[in-house]
Formats: sequence, C-alpha cells, structure tokens
Amino acid sequence: MTLITSKVCLVGDFAVGKTSVVERYVNNQFSERYLTTVGVKIDTKEIELPQHGITEKLVLWDVAGADRFGPIEFAYLRGAAGYVFVADGTRSLTLDSALALRDQIMNASNARPSVLLLNKCDLVSAWEIDDARVEALHDHFDSVFRTSAKTGDDVETALTRLAEVIVECELRSGR
Amino acid sequence: MNDLDKLRELLFGAEKQALDSIKQRVERREDRAIDVADILPDAIHSSHKRSKDLVESLRKPVGECVRQEFHDDPQTYSDALYPVIGPAIRKSIMQALRTFSQQINAAVEQSLTPRGLKWRLQAARAGVPFGEFVLQKTLLYRVEQAYLISRENGLLIGHVHHDAAKIKDSDAVSAMFTAIQDFVKESFSPDRTGRLESADMGEFTLWAVHGPHALLVCVIRGVPPRSLRGQLSAILERVHFRYGDAIRAYTGDTASVADIEGELEKCLRFQALQKKDSERRRVSVPMMLLMMALVGLILYLGISRWMHSQALNRLIDTIQATPGIYLSESLREDNRIILRGLRDPLAPPISELATAAGIAPENVDAQMGAYQSLEPEIVATRVAGIFGNPPGVAFGVRDGYLVVTGPLTQELRDEIRTRAPLLAGVHAVRLEADGAEPEQAISERDLARDKLVADLDALDGRRFYFSSGTTLRTEDGDRLAAHARALQALSIAATSLGARLRIAVTGSADGSGDPAANRRLARDRATVAADVLSAAGIAPATIVIRAAPAPEDSAATDPELRRVTIAVDLVEAAVPE
Repeated sequence: MTLITSKVCLVGDFAVGKTSVVERYVNNQFSERYLTTVGVKIDTKEIELPQHGITEKLVLWDVAGADRFGPIEFAYLRGAAGYVFVADGTRSLTLDSALALRDQIMNASNARPSVLLLNKCDLVSAWEIDDARVEALHDHFDSVFRTSAKTGDDVETALTRLAEVIVECELRSGR
Repeated sequence: MNDLDKLRELLFGAEKQALDSIKQRVERREDRAIDVADILPDAIHSSHKRSKDLVESLRKPVGECVRQEFHDDPQTYSDALYPVIGPAIRKSIMQALRTFSQQINAAVEQSLTPRGLKWRLQAARAGVPFGEFVLQKTLLYRVEQAYLISRENGLLIGHVHHDAAKIKDSDAVSAMFTAIQDFVKESFSPDRTGRLESADMGEFTLWAVHGPHALLVCVIRGVPPRSLRGQLSAILERVHFRYGDAIRAYTGDTASVADIEGELEKCLRFQALQKKDSERRRVSVPMMLLMMALVGLILYLGISRWMHSQALNRLIDTIQATPGIYLSESLREDNRIILRGLRDPLAPPISELATAAGIAPENVDAQMGAYQSLEPEIVATRVAGIFGNPPGVAFGVRDGYLVVTGPLTQELRDEIRTRAPLLAGVHAVRLEADGAEPEQAISERDLARDKLVADLDALDGRRFYFSSGTTLRTEDGDRLAAHARALQALSIAATSLGARLRIAVTGSADGSGDPAANRRLARDRATVAADVLSAAGIAPATIVIRAAPAPEDSAATDPELRRVTIAVDLVEAAVPE
C-alpha cells in the first residue's frame, strides 16, 4: 500500500465541537468538559483506503474556533489538502459562521475538498437546522453529515469520506 | 525483352532499382540487424523520455536476464559487487562499533566517580541504560533527530533519528512545529519575514534551517557548535538540489521522495565532550581512597602476619634455647599458637617465655608433657634442690661432673659424695674448697686430667698369664697387645697434659723348681710383656721391670702365679733440662 500524508484542517465557530470530533475520531473518547482550544491542536490518524490501494495518514489541524479568520489562522490553513467545517446543529448561527469561513477560505486559496459536520445531532429537541437547509448545503460542500461527537454518529464516516475525496482529487490532478 | 518490358524499364526503371534495393535490405537479416542497431539507442532514449512504458516492458525480461546471470555466473557478480558491499558493510559496522565503544568508554570511565554514581541513580530513575545515559551526559552535542518539513503545508517529507532517541508521532511533531513557526512569525514579525531559527528546551536545542521549499529541523542534545549550522545548511541545499521538484510539489506522497532519508542521515552528527587535560589525568577521589584503603589493608594484613610470624619464631628460638623444654611441634591456628612437646617442671613456664617473646600468653596453647631433663642447668638446679639449696654453695654440672663450690660442712660433703652420683645426669662429683675459683673457672685441662686419671684407674693392675716359660697364653697375648695400645693412647693424652705415665711390669713365677731360676723367669716374663708395650710405641723409659718375690711355698704350682701384672699411674713430667 502506498502511504500518503494529508493535512486536514477543522474549522468552525466557538464551541461547535471540533476538538471533541477529533478526540472521538482519533481516540474514540468523549468528554462533557469544555476546554477552549488556543491556537491549534494537532493529531494524526491513519486510514486504509483499499479501493485505491492507499494508506492515508491524516494530519488533523484542529484550529481554534472563530467566526472569522485572522492572519494567524490563515497561516495554519496554508497547504491544507482538505477541510472539515463544523457547525453546531443546535445553534444555526454557527452554520452561518461556517459558511462565512468557507467563503473566506475559498477567496484566499484554491478550492479544496471539504465536508460539513452538523454536530451535536444527539440533541434532537434543540436542533435548529431543517432538512431543506441541509439539502441546500450540498452545493457548497462535497458532503454534509449530521454527526455527534458524543455518540460517535457519522464522525468516522465523515472523515473517511473526506479522505477519499482528497485521494480522488489528488489522483485526478495527476499524482 | 519485349516492348512492354522496355516501356516498363523506361517508365519505372529507377523506382524498380530502389524497390529492389529496399527489398534486398528487408530480406537480408544482416542488413536489418545493422539498421536496427543504428537506431536502437535513439529509440530507447526517446521512448524513455516520452513515457515509462519502456521501463515497464523491459522490467520483466531484464529482471529475468539478471536472475539467470546471477544463477549461472555468481562469481562475476560477486566480484562486481565486492567493491560496493565491502565499504557498505564496513561503514555500517564502524557506525555500530563507534556507538558501542563510546558507550563502553564512557560507562567505564564514569563507573566509580561520585558523578558516575549519581548518574547511575538518575539513569535507573529514568529507565535509560546507564551506558546510553552516560553517553548523553558526556557528549558535547548530538543531533538526535532531523525533520525535513514542507514549508508549504507543514507535512513531514522525511524524518531520521538516532536509535536511542525517543520518537513521538513525527507527523504531528512536524505539523506542530510548523504551527509554532507560523504563530511566532505572525505574532512577532511585523513584516512576516522573521522566522524561528532555534529554540531551547531543557537539554535539547531545536535548530531550524530554512530552504526555499523545505525546513530542516534538528533536535540536538547538548551545545552544538556554530559550525554545525553551516553543515546542516549544506545538507539542506543538497536535498533541494536532488529532490527540488518533489519537495516543492510535496502533497504527502512519500513515494515521491524515496531515499531522502539517506541524505538526512548525514545530519545525525555528534561530538564528544573534550575534557581538560588536568581532568583527564586526575584519578577520581573515591577511586584513590578505595585504592589506598586496599593497599592499607594489604599492608596491615601483611605486616601483622609478618610480625606474628616473627614473634612465633622468637618464641620458638627462646624455647629451644631454654633448658628443660623439648619442642616437637609448633603450629598456628587462626590467631592462636599451638605448641606440643615435653617440659621439665624445673624449666620456666611457657607463658613466661611467650610474654618475653611479645606474645600474649592467652594466645598460646601449650600442650607439654612432663619429663626429667638431663641438661646440665636443670640437673644442677635439681641437685641443689635435693641438697636443700645451702646458702653460698653453687652447684654446676659439666660433662657429667657435679661441681660444687662454696662453704660446705663435712657432713654435707659426705652426703654429696654419697648421694650425688646416684642422681640422673651426674657421673662423678668434684668438690671445690671454700674460696676456690668458682665452678665456671674449672678448666678443660683439669677435666681432661680427671678423665685420664679415671681411665688409668680402670687399666691399673691388669694381669696377663703365661702357659709355661715366657710363652703367653694365646688369649692373654691378644689382651696384652690391646692393653698396650690402650696405654699408648693414654700415654699420648698424658703427654698433652704435661704429664707422663709410669708403668710398672711385675713378672711372677710359681714355686716349683729352683728359686733363682724362678726369679729369672719372673723377670724374663716381665721383660717379654715390656717388649710388647714397647712394640706398641710406649717409651721404654716409662716402663719399670720388676720380678715379684718367689712364693713362700716352693712346691706351689699354682698357674695363677705364672703371670705379669702391669701397674700404671700418672706422674708430672720432668721439667726439661
């Protein structure tokens, strides 16, 4: 199997659960305690993509939450192979922030594979984003997932999907 | 040739010639081979340039050829590979040995110093092998790890590390370093041109060397010299030279930078700490103390053993010189001396002798049997005791003689004369008058004279018998000859003492026959005996010949009367004229 390494950045508003998503994905753990990320936190995880004969090592840059990026955050995003946009499904404003960040990034650099995670789907009663809006989001992202870092719902699926899209994109671009 | 042929010749002659020529070239195998050989190199070159198909096509047959050749002719290949394999193996072994010997040297050198002991504790606490710990401590610097990081995306392009270095997730480290680098640049460099070049963390220093497309980050233990940065820059330049395109467009495909670790390995340098000369020569204090203690212990043991053995020898010498003690065995067990033998009760006790020899009496175990010693000193003491140690009287024993000096009562004199010769070790008694020279003054000459007198007493008055006339009985003839030799010996002894023998040979005869004839016979017999003495070497002047008076009873025929009697005594030699 060929080994490739890809830089993936997780971006989104404050307290949407980016760090929890990474923690669930990498260590399969969840904590109710909220700790704000300062700067950036980095983790890695290898996944097998047998259909492509590739082992992909994702270097996950968990960038501190923001509704708008400054130069430091942009520096962190430099050279990313893909993005994970995270929004809190119980706070629709965070989805607006995610879309705003997406626009900001797309304006500043080339388009890259990206997935949107509408997190905290376990909190059904507080859910604020209806299906029609979700459907419309598919135009902006390669995939959109309702995820829960707490229960683990679709977290791995979402990241695996992004990894596949990155590889396909790389293969298309003639690696 | 008909008209048609002629026409064809006219119209297509030249083309036909060309066609024939081509046909000939195509049909002739040799010509085809030459043509292909002409274009083959160019064809391979352009095909390889255009795509990798040629490589793919050739891979199998060429691989097969190589395998076949290896199988058929291994020698040629081993010869060809020898110059490559040799140095490669040597290099690898040298590297391993160098690390190993570094560890051994450092560990041995540090094993007994206080610092070594402290490090040993620290190494045990940290769970690191002692050799490795010492190496870490004694290195001036060592490049433990080198990361080659893409400047574009922070992805790790290559990573090498020392065997013992503790490695975390190198991709995460690489990314985090890039993040820090970005953070520092954005936060502290107003024009964003500044860059993080070094960072210190405890015993480690991080050096970042920046290239156009990649960043070389080295984790260095210790204090690196300034020159190292230049060397690292040179390595990074070479990496850019060899892998420039691959690094610039690096998006995480490790295959695009295969073998880059070979270049990065050159970063893993080290330099040992240079010791000061004085420090190098200095022997560690505990080592010196330990050596001194050892030498002291050896000296102490050696000296105390030597002194003990000297004391034992002294004791043995003292015992052997002490009358009345016979030593049969002496041995040492642990710190005790065991003596076995015999001791006269009159001899001094062993404990007294041990004290005199400088040995504590409780360390001496004397297993002595009792016996009666005949040594003169002991005999003298014993005799003195028997006679009540009379005041002013000295008892001594020499050559069997008991010599008593001092004021003696007549009664004591008589008692000594009677009882002393009965005691063991006393053969004769000699009493000196009061005021005479002390026992020690008795000369050898006196003793020799006493002995001569005693010997003469024993020989005095011997008789030798005749069968008839002047013919000695056979056995008496032999006895007389032996007697003559004995007298001759005593005569010499007497001469040496300044005296001489006086020998009187008296012949006798029985009463039968004429008394005058008998007197003559008696004289003749004396003469015969005197002749035997003279023949033995005795001076005739010392011999007096006598005839015994005839017996009263003229008829007596007692053979006892047919004899000579030889009397001998000692007279002072005449003063020479």
